[in-house]
Amino acid sequence: MRRTVYLKLAFWGALALFLAWDHARAPRIDLRFEAPLIAAGSGQTSIAGHCALPK
Amino acid sequence: MRRLPIAALAAALLFVLVWYVSVRQAALFAIGIAMGAALAGARFGFTTGWRNLVVARDPRGVVGQALLLALAALGSMPLLGQFPELNAALAPPSVSLVVGAFLFGLTMQIADGCGSGTLYKAGMGVPLNMGILPLFALGSFLGSVHLDRWLVLGVIEPVSLVDHFGVAGALAATFAGLAVAVALALAWSGAEGRASWFDRRWLWGAVALAALAVLNLVVAGQPWGVVYGFGLWAAKLATAAGVFDPAANMFWNQPGNAEILRQSVLLDVTSITNIGILAGALWVAAGAPSTGRPLTAVQWLIGLAAGFVMGYSSRLAFGCNVGAMVSGISTGSLHGWLWVPLAFAGTLIGLRVRRRFGFDAA
Repeated sequence: MRRTVYLKLAFWGALALFLAWDHARAPRIDLRFEAPLIAAGSGQTSIAGHCALPK
Repeated sequence: MRRLPIAALAAALLFVLVWYVSVRQAALFAIGIAMGAALAGARFGFTTGWRNLVVARDPRGVVGQALLLALAALGSMPLLGQFPELNAALAPPSVSLVVGAFLFGLTMQIADGCGSGTLYKAGMGVPLNMGILPLFALGSFLGSVHLDRWLVLGVIEPVSLVDHFGVAGALAATFAGLAVAVALALAWSGAEGRASWFDRRWLWGAVALAALAVLNLVVAGQPWGVVYGFGLWAAKLATAAGVFDPAANMFWNQPGNAEILRQSVLLDVTSITNIGILAGALWVAAGAPSTGRPLTAVQWLIGLAAGFVMGYSSRLAFGCNVGAMVSGISTGSLHGWLWVPLAFAGTLIGLRVRRRFGFDAA
């Protein structure tokens, strides 16, 4: 039981650390180029980021 | 753990996303939370549904999954016909798909969770799935790195049912295919299985997940996916550690992937829904102690190895149960229809391995 609690803490801690690390190293997000709330009807196609993409 | 602090943390992250990232990403995070809550609340396990059909001749999970696919197709295909900016989950039938889907179906039974299953069970605090997640990410990353070598073994162009037959024709073909799958499942289940083919838990899970999958498509412009996000996380770490040069790799030097790799992970659609699924499952699991026997060291080793292979093979197969099966079939990609029988064949082997190492008793 206690081991599971430690594992949970390690898991969520690692995820939080990863997000913080990535936030620190990634370029600042430019809100002027924010994507429209809804893609449908926006005229903007997403270019990548799905498992089905072969390359 | 109480639900209120978790809800407060999720709300705080939602606020951060709205304020510092984009309203769209915040909306996708909320969709991910709802997906996680639906998956965990309904215990909507693709892996379990297949296992119950084979082992216990219980068709309820497969019927629920067929309903999810039908409803998601009913929502997605007309949208794809109407809005050209929306992408279907189109992937090429290939040698890598054959190998990847078979291995994925095999290993998901050992790991007791597919892509979404690993996510929601990790969110719920199931120890093996928490351990598997980083290895799944590593496998997914290595699969993307090696994908070009697999593709030279044989590949044809992706086939879109919506493009070939139109929306009505694609829907008719999809419903017919699903009806055949359900009929086969009911025939295998026998009279006893047929008498109890319907289950409210699977029904509400299917309806909720179908609605959320369509919403994901409308908001993100692409179907629901899981695996890409995992591979991206590992790719970021490998690149930062200096052990991987994305510019020299076919997959990661594509302009879209290179840009996603460079920018904040909070801007990636798949990553943000994955994090939402984890949070939603955590919220559902709060206060409910995890059950089940602890695994032996051998079971841990086998399970973790299966998680790694699952990540690698899901990349070769252009998705897991979500990216290839749910999104592929519901958006009219032929590769989704090829994925299912291949993964099911793998599952038949995986169930034997699972039994051999005593996972069913755990």
